[in-house]
Amino acid sequence: MLVDMAEKLFADLTTDRSAPFATLWPRVEEMGFGGLLLGEEEGGFGGDAGDAFAVLKTAGAAALPLPLAEEVFGRLAAARAGVVDVPGIVTIATRWDGGIAGRRFTGTTTAVPWGREAGAVVLTGNGPDLLVMARGARVLREDANPAGEPRDTLSFEGAEVHEVPEFSALHWGALSRSAQIAGALDRALAMSIEYANERVQFGRPIGKFQSVQHSLAIFAMEASAALSAGQAAARAAEVDAAHFEIAVAKCRASQAAAVGHASAHAAHGAIGFTMEHGLNHLTRRLIAWRSEFGGQAFWADRIGEHVLTMPPGQFWPNLTARSDVLSRAAGSK
Amino acid sequence: MLMSDTFRFTAPPGADELRAKVRELAEGYLADKDPVTRANCWMRPDPAFSLLAGEAGLIGMVWPKKYGGHERTAAERYIVMEELLAAGAPVCSHWVADRQSGALLLKYGTEEQRQKIIPGIVRGETYFCIGLSEPGSGSDLASVRTRATHTAEGWRINGQKIWSTIAHKSHYMIALIRTGSEEERQKGLSQFLIDLSMPGIDIRPIRDLTGTEEFTEVFFDDVLVPDSMRIGEVGEGWKQVTAELALERSGPERYLTSFSLLNALIRFGQTSGRDDIRRLVGQAVAELWSLREMSMSTAAKLASGEDPVVEASIVKDLGTGYEQELPRAVQALLEEVDFASGDDFGRLLAYLLQASPSFSLRGGTREVLRGIIARGLGLR
Ligand SMILES: Cc1cc2nc3c(=O)[nH]c(=O)nc-3n(C[C@H](O)[C@H](O)[C@H](O)COP(=O)(O)OP(=O)(O)OC[C@H]3O[C@@H](n4cnc5c(N)ncnc54)[C@H](O)[C@@H]3O)c2cc1C
Repeated sequence: MLVDMAEKLFADLTTDRSAPFATLWPRVEEMGFGGLLLGEEEGGFGGDAGDAFAVLKTAGAAALPLPLAEEVFGRLAAARAGVVDVPGIVTIATRWDGGIAGRRFTGTTTAVPWGREAGAVVLTGNGPDLLVMARGARVLREDANPAGEPRDTLSFEGAEVHEVPEFSALHWGALSRSAQIAGALDRALAMSIEYANERVQFGRPIGKFQSVQHSLAIFAMEASAALSAGQAAARAAEVDAAHFEIAVAKCRASQAAAVGHASAHAAHGAIGFTMEHGLNHLTRRLIAWRSEFGGQAFWADRIGEHVLTMPPGQFWPNLTARSDVLSRAAGSK
Repeated sequence: MLMSDTFRFTAPPGADELRAKVRELAEGYLADKDPVTRANCWMRPDPAFSLLAGEAGLIGMVWPKKYGGHERTAAERYIVMEELLAAGAPVCSHWVADRQSGALLLKYGTEEQRQKIIPGIVRGETYFCIGLSEPGSGSDLASVRTRATHTAEGWRINGQKIWSTIAHKSHYMIALIRTGSEEERQKGLSQFLIDLSMPGIDIRPIRDLTGTEEFTEVFFDDVLVPDSMRIGEVGEGWKQVTAELALERSGPERYLTSFSLLNALIRFGQTSGRDDIRRLVGQAVAELWSLREMSMSTAAKLASGEDPVVEASIVKDLGTGYEQELPRAVQALLEEVDFASGDDFGRLLAYLLQASPSFSLRGGTREVLRGIIARGLGLR
């Protein structure tokens, strides 16, 4: 249901890729997608992490040029911080410089998704995450990731700050990107298969050549791994903070993104290298998302740290016990 | 189009106790065994361990009680398999019988065959080998030439199988044999249950490059097999084998047979404090845990009566790829490897670097699996 709704809306919103944010975003707001994770009493959908994963995977497949992931988790952070009315979008960011004095933030944040539209930014730091109100913030630089998605630098002077209890924008961001990558891989794979069955060279569809088949088979394996790991993380996130599972999901999705990116372009030949062909909207996002909210090595280090700090021989018992508990929690829903 | 989590196991009640029981059995048996003995463990036959496993009720977990089975759930069976493998238990003797031969007999066998054979499998006494490959038929399995000719007394079998793992230590082979013409390819094949003690059968072990003698060649010289040993209908062999292969390809033995290397790597990471080892551990765990998700969802799909041929191929190719890459990646990070002095880590690497090429040959080659996946994607 939710996914069908999302699919329709995202298809509409991507028919004209030159449409400005100001005309697109209100349609998302109208449908209330930003409130996906808020309770019904807070005017939200009452959705869980699994719903968020499914919707963001759909957004990834559509290469939706909007800060939906950021808004979904940003609004959740704002609600947890007890801040209900934020104009504009609530976005999330991991890179900042500066300090807090007397509940005021002074400093800069870089690579903020759609920073120019932000009413507030959730920052991940060493302590609890912070919700920084962006009214009065200056946009120092409007920039973009390789996919052309806005990634801006903002400067704050004594901006109002709220602590967000039990929240990690880094992890939610990583889960979001895992979902988006899974969706983009799925779609890019489908496009590649379709193209391989249509494009004729040497008198037959290129999909009949074994090397093309094997390249796409590898693509499918990687896409499956990204999807499985992501869905497992989303299920775990319905139960607790799921830091291990999210780390696995983003690490694996980042690995898969590179393979899918290469395979999709190889299969499409030169036509896929044009701006006009739709493939680039997916593949340029894949390479960008691969690094955002922690790349493969970042998460591998975290997982490694987690495993190496367990007592000797405890890795397997700990993780199987955890996965049993998680499967029961998911099964009883 | 992709495999997803539509099918999922919920951890059964008593999962903790079951895991603890299997660990205790395996650890008690392995005790002071080194990591090398625990690596590639499902290729290590050891009837004494299989008997213990049978006694403990760990074989034939999901089969009907009337044949000695335990009527437990597929989720419980998965737990037993993964715990045995993670410990590095020598499960080879009963593995094939438990994984596929018994299941095949339950599905296509006669009542007589089931009653005669399945209880022994469950007790950990009766072992099976797989008779598919022949000298002229590897990947092109539909070309097998070992032939069964129908006569008044039964079927006369002539020909040769090869690479049959532990045929010399098994009681039965389930063999894919030509009963029709060669032009018929798949349609001319049938499956037979072959008692390996019968006259006319000659089994010769083949030494593999690691020095062990676990695979074999098996010659059939006018072996007379009664019709009661035919499995399923004449001409249905190919279909039956295909179903069997999904069982063979998706299990935890495709990513968990050399868990002892990851354990050794973790210990090395803990003592060395090296950042690059920590990163490799993290990367390996990310892949392992993703594979486990995929393998479990494929097992759940199988258990629900579906036939996940493509998913099983995905699990096998990704899983074996992971188990082949890990020894190489570890080796690449070490300035030097002490292969010679009896150092556990060095010997483990030496063994797995030699053994791992076989991971993507046995059970269908990488190229064959990718062809199956491509067909599933609609490319063939
Ligand atoms: C340790 C081990 C245990 C085994 N145990 C058993 C057992 O118990 N029972 C049993 O029956 N068999 C067993 N096998 C055999 C195994 O199933 C075969 O090795 C496998 O099916 C490949 O056959 P082959 O070795 O003849 O290689 P070939 O089929 O000759 O293949 C050689 C290479 O060519 C490639 N190739 C072949 N055809 C194609 C094609 N159409 N397109 C692209 N590439 C192609 C293959 O992928 C491979 O890379 C075992 C093998 C090993 C190594």
